[in-house]
Amino acid sequence: MHIPDGILPAQVCAAGYAITGLATWYSLRQINRKPDPTAEIPKASLLTAAFFVASSIYIPVPPASVHLILNGLLGVVLGYFAFPAILIGLFFQALVIGHGGITTLGVNAAMMGIPALLAYHIFQSRNTVGKMLKEPTRTGVFSFLGGALGLGISALIFLGLIIFNIPAELDAGAERAAVLTLSIGHIPLAIIEGMFTTMLVLFLRRVKPELLEG
Amino acid sequence: MGAASLDTYVHRESVIHRWSPRLKLVSLVALMFAFATVRQLSLVPWMLGLAATLYGLSGLPVAFLRQRLSYPGLFILGLVVVLPLTVGDTVLGQWGWLTLRQEGLMATLLIVGRFLSILTLGFILLGTTPFLTLLNAMRSLGLPTILADMTLLSYRYLFEIAAMLATMQQAMRLRGFGQRRQRWLRVNGQIMQQLAMLAGNLLIRSYEQSDRVYKAMRLRGYGYGGKVVVGQSAAAQPGTLSWVLAAAVLTAAVSLVIAEGLLRL
Repeated sequence: MHIPDGILPAQVCAAGYAITGLATWYSLRQINRKPDPTAEIPKASLLTAAFFVASSIYIPVPPASVHLILNGLLGVVLGYFAFPAILIGLFFQALVIGHGGITTLGVNAAMMGIPALLAYHIFQSRNTVGKMLKEPTRTGVFSFLGGALGLGISALIFLGLIIFNIPAELDAGAERAAVLTLSIGHIPLAIIEGMFTTMLVLFLRRVKPELLEG
Repeated sequence: MGAASLDTYVHRESVIHRWSPRLKLVSLVALMFAFATVRQLSLVPWMLGLAATLYGLSGLPVAFLRQRLSYPGLFILGLVVVLPLTVGDTVLGQWGWLTLRQEGLMATLLIVGRFLSILTLGFILLGTTPFLTLLNAMRSLGLPTILADMTLLSYRYLFEIAAMLATMQQAMRLRGFGQRRQRWLRVNGQIMQQLAMLAGNLLIRSYEQSDRVYKAMRLRGYGYGGKVVVGQSAAAQPGTLSWVLAAAVLTAAVSLVIAEGLLRL
C-alpha cells in the first residue's frame, strides 16, 4: 500500500512533504519534551528496524496471503516516535526494495504516519474512555481499534489519492463507486490487522509490559 | 533483503560518482519533482531521454535498473492493464467485451513515462552514492539530529534483525509450522497467534538489544554533544564539475516546468 513515483502530480507530492514536515516537527517537539529523549533513540531505532523486518511476515489465507502494514501497532508501541519511524521505514523501503518512491515519500509517510499517531491516542485513551472495561479486555479492545483503524484510515487515504489523481476524466459517480467498492474490500484486511495487533499487544502485556508504556 | 546489491556499484568511477553528494541530492530531487509536474504526453520522450542520458553518464549497468524495477513495476503493471480498458469515452478498438479507450491509454503512457524516469533518477542517486554519504548530505542540508541518529541506528541493525527473524522462522518450520493444510479463504486463528508471538518475540529481542546498545553508546560519549561524522564527508567543497552538472540538471528541470506551463496554455 505504497504509492510509487510517477502516479501523483507534483503539487500533491509537495503537499505530502509539507504535511510530513509538519507532523515530523510536531512529533519531534513531543519527543524533546521527554525527560531524556536521547535514551529513547536506540529503543525507537531498533524497534523501527524490527517493525520494518516484521512487516515481511505474511498471514496465510489460502490460496493467497495477507501482507501486514503494522502502522497501528507502531503507533501503539512507539507513541510519538511512530511518525519518524514510519518515515525512516519508508525511506528504507524506497531505497532497499524500490517499494514506494522518493517524490511520494512525503505522501506515503503522511498516509501511514498520521493514522499511526491516531492509533497511539486511541490506545492511550483506554485508561480514560475504557475505564469501565476490565483488563485484559480493555487492552485487547483498544489495541484492536488502534490496529484496525490505523490500517483502515491509511487504506482510505490511499484509495482516495489514487482514484482522484488518475490523470484522465473519470466521472464523479464512477470515482465514488470505485472508492466505496475498494474501501469495502479493505474491511476484512483491517479486521485481520486489528486481530493481529490485539494478539501481539496481549502477548507483550504478558511478557514485556514496559514496551507498551509508549 | 536485497540491500547488499545497493552498494555494489557506488565505488565505480564516473562523472556522476564524482559529483558532490549534496549538489547531486538537491539537483536530482529537483529534477524528479520537475518530472512529476509533467502532464503533457509530448514531454514524456524528453523526460525519458534526460533520465537515460544521466543513467548512461553514471556508468551503472542496465541489469541494475532491470533488477530493481521488477518490484515496483507490479503496481504499475496493474494500472497499465486496468486504465486503458476502463477510463475515457473515446473508443480506439473493441474486441468482444474488451474496449480500448484513448484517454485511459494516454494516462497510462504518462504514468509509465513519469514512473520510469523518476525511478531511474532515484537509482542513479542511490547507485552512485554510499548510503552513509547520502545521509551525511541530508544532515548537512538540515535533517534533524534525532532523525539522522534513528536512521543510522536502524540501518546498522536492520540486517541483523532480519537475520534474527530468518533464524526464528527456520526454527518454527523445523518444529512443524506451516505443515498443516488450511481451508481456502479462512484465517487460521492458531497460525495467526503463532505469527503474532513471532513478531512479538522479535520486538522484545530488539528492545532488549537496544538497552545494551544504549549503554555502550553512553560509555562512548553519546548524548554529551560533539559532532558525529560517518562515511565520506558531504561538506567537502564541490569542484567545478559538480557545479556544472548541478547547473545543467537544474536548467533541465526548470525548462521542463516552463515547457509544461507553455503547452498547457
